[in-house]
Amino acid sequence: MPILKKVTENKILRQAFFIAILLGVWQYIVSTGNYSELILPNLRSIWTALVDSISTGEMGERTAYSLYLIGKALAIGSGLALILTALAMLSPLFADFVKTITTIFNPLPGVALLPIALLWFGIGENSILLILVHSIIWPLILNATTGFRSVSRTQLEVGRNLGLRGLKLVSSVMVPSAFPYILTGFKISWSNSWRSLVAAEMIFGASGGQGGLGWLIYQKRFFLQTPYVFAALFVIILIGILVENVIFAQIEKWTIQRWGMIIQKEK
Amino acid sequence: MADKVLIENLFVKFEGEQGNIQALEDISFSVKEGEFLTILGPSGCGKSTLIRSIAGFQKPEKGRILLGKRQVHEPGPDRIMVFQEFDQLFPWKTVKSNITYALKVNGKGKEERERMAAHYLEMVNLQDFGGAFPHQLSGGMKQRAAIARSLALNPEILLMDEPFGSLDAQTRAVLQSELVRLWQKVGSTIIFITHNIQEAILLGDRVMVMSSAPGRIKDIVDVNIARPRLPETPEFMALWHTLYGLLETKRFGENGKNNTMPGKD
Repeated sequence: MPILKKVTENKILRQAFFIAILLGVWQYIVSTGNYSELILPNLRSIWTALVDSISTGEMGERTAYSLYLIGKALAIGSGLALILTALAMLSPLFADFVKTITTIFNPLPGVALLPIALLWFGIGENSILLILVHSIIWPLILNATTGFRSVSRTQLEVGRNLGLRGLKLVSSVMVPSAFPYILTGFKISWSNSWRSLVAAEMIFGASGGQGGLGWLIYQKRFFLQTPYVFAALFVIILIGILVENVIFAQIEKWTIQRWGMIIQKEK
Repeated sequence: MADKVLIENLFVKFEGEQGNIQALEDISFSVKEGEFLTILGPSGCGKSTLIRSIAGFQKPEKGRILLGKRQVHEPGPDRIMVFQEFDQLFPWKTVKSNITYALKVNGKGKEERERMAAHYLEMVNLQDFGGAFPHQLSGGMKQRAAIARSLALNPEILLMDEPFGSLDAQTRAVLQSELVRLWQKVGSTIIFITHNIQEAILLGDRVMVMSSAPGRIKDIVDVNIARPRLPETPEFMALWHTLYGLLETKRFGENGKNNTMPGKD
């Protein structure tokens, strides 16, 4: 059968097929009528909730706020990671210090810092930022340091031979050479912080009328608007997929795949 | 002609966990402007250490390295090194940008960079591969691109550390004759490291033979054979045997010492 063959050969069609099966199972369970709409809503009402929250602008606003928070945290976190890693490369003593604090803090989940963040900054943006920066900075430092250590000696010497020194050598040779590691660091940082963000928002809620997707979920659950909870979950999943499988995959394709630094992925 | 490079009483010592190793002991020689000097020695004789010292990557224990009248202490674009490793091109730049970037670092304007890159790519027969990334090239092509990049910088001396050492025999032979052709055309001064006797004779105006543990100069032999040189000619074979003899005494140790040395060489 040509259609079946097409579906089994194409990765996207294959995945769509699995998703369709999952949705079918969902809808079947709902249709048995054993569960209340408040616990397991109809797919149609989730869809209506999604369309409604998008058209009223609520979903867009909440998503934008979450993305704004994570963008800000990524900027602060990568800046700090860059400074710490650069200083660690200049001084062996400082390298020991960075290694120690990274070892201490990396295993600590961001959400575990919530009570401390509350004590220090109270409810609000700064508390969430502290947690996000924490979940961004350590994986980034770890990966960047490993990357810098794995830079080819020959390429470093070629750089010095051309006349590059100090920061210029770092930015022109070490960073691109360590880029596969740095990118991995960013991937881990992103997924850590995206997960922490949703959790933190649920606990902190909104400050000054603002709130992100996590807060939206919490609010809707409070009012027993279950379809809206699922609609928000859907958006969270969608953004996760978009960033991890589209944006990062594209960056990878433009850089380390193009440069032959990693083996091309199979289709 | 004037001396381009002058090495005076060079000593290099490695401090290791099992004690210190004298890698080079009292090395003195000079290279004339436009001369092609090959340095021949077995693994571990310190020939790589010697060329790395000239490049400025290795700090000597004592002695002087003079380039013209200047003493050199650190790496610089006046002495460009071509390595044996295939990863010496920056993988994140195309073949052409590898050259234009090197020129940019050394203050060349945009138009000149483009022009020179095209010129040198053509010189090494890579004009069709300027837009390729290094990982798309074969080992031989990578080495040719690295040579093009080095020549484009117009260094006072070209240092070549077994650049053809990892290539298959055919590619190696092709690149050897190409290098001689380039050298005759450009007139650069070259120090070329090898452990291959035939390569040393094919390329060099003179062959400097080294002995190991500690690394010393065994002899410097003139190659009075007209180019292009053919290995099957009697004078080539005679010189081959002379050099082989020089290496041989060393290989079994003049005083029963073992020739182990750290490093890749």
